Amino acid sequence: MSADVAPPAIGRSPLQRFLGGYGQEIVVFLSIIFLFVVVGAINPRFLSDTNINSIFAGNAYIAVAAIGMSMIIIAGHIDVSVGALIGVIATIAGTLAVKGYPVWIAWTVPIFFSMAVNAGVGALVAYTRIPSIVVTLGMLSILKGGLISATAGAWISNLPPEFMIAQMRPFGIPSAVYFMVVLTILATLFVRYTDFGRSIYAVGGNMEAARAAGINPERVVVGVFALHGFFAGIAGILFATQLQVIQSTVPPNLELTVITASVIGGVSILGGSGTVIGSTLAAILFACIGSALIFLNVSAYWLRAVLGLMILATVLADMARRRRAK
Amino acid sequence: MTLSRWLRHETILAVLTIIALIVLAILSDKFFTTENLLNQGRLMSEVGLVALAMTFVIVTGGIDLSVGSILGLTAILLGVFWKNVGLPLPAAIVLAVACGTFAGWVNGFIITRFRVPPLIATLATLALYRGLAEGISEARSVRGYPEWFFFFGQGEVLGVPFQLWILGIATVIAAVILGLTPFGRATYAIGANETAARFSGIRVNATKLWIYAAAGFLSALAAVIFVSRVTTTRSDMGTGLELDVITGVVLGGTSIFGGRGTIIGTVLGLILIQALKNGLALSGVKGDGTIVVIGLVLIGAILAGALFDKNRGG
Amino acid sequence: MMKKLTCAALLGLGLVSGQALAGGWTGGDDQPTNPLACDGTPSAGAAMAYDGGAPTNPPDRKGKKITVVDVPKLIGIGYFNATSKGIADAATELGNVEAKTDGPTKANIDEQITFLDNYITSGVDGILFAANDPVAIAPVLKKALEKGINVVGYDANSTPDARQWFVNQAQFNGIAKSLVDSLAAEIGEEGSFAIVTSTFTTPNQARWIAEMSAYAEKCHPKMKWLETVEAQEDNNLSFNQATTLINKYGDELKGIFGMTSVATPASAEAVTQANKCGSIAVVGLATPNAMKPYVEKGCVKSVVLWNPVDLGYAAMQVLRAVADGTLQPGATSVKAGKLGELQVINGSEILLGAPYVFNKDNIGQFDF
Repeated sequence: MSADVAPPAIGRSPLQRFLGGYGQEIVVFLSIIFLFVVVGAINPRFLSDTNINSIFAGNAYIAVAAIGMSMIIIAGHIDVSVGALIGVIATIAGTLAVKGYPVWIAWTVPIFFSMAVNAGVGALVAYTRIPSIVVTLGMLSILKGGLISATAGAWISNLPPEFMIAQMRPFGIPSAVYFMVVLTILATLFVRYTDFGRSIYAVGGNMEAARAAGINPERVVVGVFALHGFFAGIAGILFATQLQVIQSTVPPNLELTVITASVIGGVSILGGSGTVIGSTLAAILFACIGSALIFLNVSAYWLRAVLGLMILATVLADMARRRRAK
Repeated sequence: MTLSRWLRHETILAVLTIIALIVLAILSDKFFTTENLLNQGRLMSEVGLVALAMTFVIVTGGIDLSVGSILGLTAILLGVFWKNVGLPLPAAIVLAVACGTFAGWVNGFIITRFRVPPLIATLATLALYRGLAEGISEARSVRGYPEWFFFFGQGEVLGVPFQLWILGIATVIAAVILGLTPFGRATYAIGANETAARFSGIRVNATKLWIYAAAGFLSALAAVIFVSRVTTTRSDMGTGLELDVITGVVLGGTSIFGGRGTIIGTVLGLILIQALKNGLALSGVKGDGTIVVIGLVLIGAILAGALFDKNRGG
Repeated sequence: MMKKLTCAALLGLGLVSGQALAGGWTGGDDQPTNPLACDGTPSAGAAMAYDGGAPTNPPDRKGKKITVVDVPKLIGIGYFNATSKGIADAATELGNVEAKTDGPTKANIDEQITFLDNYITSGVDGILFAANDPVAIAPVLKKALEKGINVVGYDANSTPDARQWFVNQAQFNGIAKSLVDSLAAEIGEEGSFAIVTSTFTTPNQARWIAEMSAYAEKCHPKMKWLETVEAQEDNNLSFNQATTLINKYGDELKGIFGMTSVATPASAEAVTQANKCGSIAVVGLATPNAMKPYVEKGCVKSVVLWNPVDLGYAAMQVLRAVADGTLQPGATSVKAGKLGELQVINGSEILLGAPYVFNKDNIGQFDF
């Protein structure tokens, strides 16, 4: 398992090194291109700017959440409560906006809340050594039950127009796309070029070795969870502001979609390797597939089977590539 | 990995379960009655059966997220084989269970042959098997089963629900296999250190294939009982089952990292969850409140176990 | 490898979809349909004998205080919040009923059965339910009847013998006629349209789609169904699916049917954000509050729904009447508080009324 995205490989051309470091990302990227070409050839409307806009904007919140999830998985952990957390954040944001607080409060307070909650989860994981899947499984129940108890499932409507950040379209492009792109670039730079970012890989690769190298692994884990909370918070705000109403329930199966995006994007579930670009590409790929299946007249009954087959194909392709790389 | 260390978590859990039972019995006089307890046993049978196999899976350091989808797929196939293909119902049941077992085996095959991490492999088959269930059934239900078929899910033997007997027998078999046989020791060895297990001559891949196939088999068995209990098949049956099962197993003290866990712990974990769900409902707590309590108990129980371990200098 | 598999998968599914298109509209069930006459002449329904069940040795509940639990398909969506409010209103008005709503957080048959089972054990006097599956829920409801509990359904029926009465918000063929007629009036007899539904396994939606298909074939044969997409009960997914439909069909798409109270506002939002107000009509089932912004802007002309608050209210009134013994098998009508006399149809169903069509002029008067 490579400890970093670009291990110094001697005797390889720069291109080979690049391909070695970003193999899975390239597979996902080519799959997106492939879908655009094939589906676009069958039905040119697939390539219309409105459809491309909706493909990129529709899953942007999933991509943003997957950035944080990728970091968590790189650090050797997992979070199955992220879907519930996004539901809670959206509800808090919507409630604040409707109560008449300034929109910047409605946007930022839930993000801080999300960071605090996840830092708590991270502390529990880091200092008590309870597996993260157990803590977050528990959090999933607590957040989900708590949300329904608090709201009784009442929808939030009559949101102020200036609150709708995901619907703004600077230069004709949905703002959610800007968030997705900018955050992906920032996160990529962050994990590659900062000490903290590199220590995430070290902790995920081998916790004791990381400790021996002078890293405080507990602090890194708490930090990664807080950071994940930050991305989940932004994802929650984008989710909340996409439509005129907020459902104030937990979006079904969102955690599975986010985890799948990270994993398909090339993050090793064993920790220690992967990039955040991959998960963003994978989230876009999902949106592409969802849209393509409708464009190709795939019988809606078989839609999920095709999706499962595609995930399996991507995973097997990745495994084959890794074996070749060895 | 001594016996006393395993017992530690189970002891805490047993005490916790007894306290919960006493408190719930005080809160509602409807809770601690034979009728209610047997009925709860009926309701937890499907989750229980799958949890037995899941214990093995998690002890090897793996996970199986596709169990709910296998349940749904088996249920649909049972109906399709019987109604659309026209097989006699007993043959349809056997064939559907065989298909469910095969689906589990496929998981094991992908995991061992292609070295795909179990989480990913079964995440993919979670979607695939559910998709097959939807596609094959075109979302239509199959109903109108003969009366004798309902015995599996609604009948009683000596006053105890039929599926509780099945669960009981399966529990004993699973406990014996995991605790007392070479196969069980191999399971622990794989979870503790797969490479070491391989070098010490354990047939790692074969063992894993058996375990994932068994998970498929028990999910399929649960599907038959479920269909018989609710008298119809639907392609969305068993949705979300995997989280209930994993919660029970993990609460029972099985380590998600593998190498540690017992069937007794799993059974205690399941009983505690079912008792909480039922007892809180009977004492007037609404469903959403119950979910919160279960989440807190899960974290609390594991935390308590971890703290005890630490105090012993472990 | 990935590409090969993808290709194979897509090819294989191309064939599959061809087959699926051959039948009626995707998403309908396979039960027999009974489309209404095009001009709305009511078909002479044959009188049916009572086919509901009966509780075993119920205690005398006449005029006594009873506890009632309401277990809807799921909690946390606007529609069942409204029925729950109606039930609570009726309970307050009656004064001798203690009612509460509890249920699963997703429309799941297993969880709903467990909820019912627990409430039967806890000893309630009456159960109100909206079934996630008519057959799967039957055994547990029969168990309730055996325990002497009064059982009344609303919104989504069970098999008749598993409950006493069912309060029917509107007949399936009536809803189908209202929806199809409304869309035909907006897009013309030759328009093309698509459907956004929850899931194909949801019985009510599947029934409506089947009836709509039959009615359109009979009365609007030139209207063209394009496709049906699933969107769960999920706002964002409904929005994405509707947007994709708009992108795919471009100007060919003239109308969208929203089959749920989630799908309809989300489809209207998709049309609004695509700047297609006026060129793509949205007709569907929805609650007025969620639709007000779109109806007031003129983006949506008509929303079809019964009043879910009234539905819950009627269900509670019927349950009280059953418990009191004032509603007996064979009755032809029942008095339901402020709603007046409601008619009995199909043996053991109580009809709330004809579906209501909300439009710009009247939508402001409703708050649910």
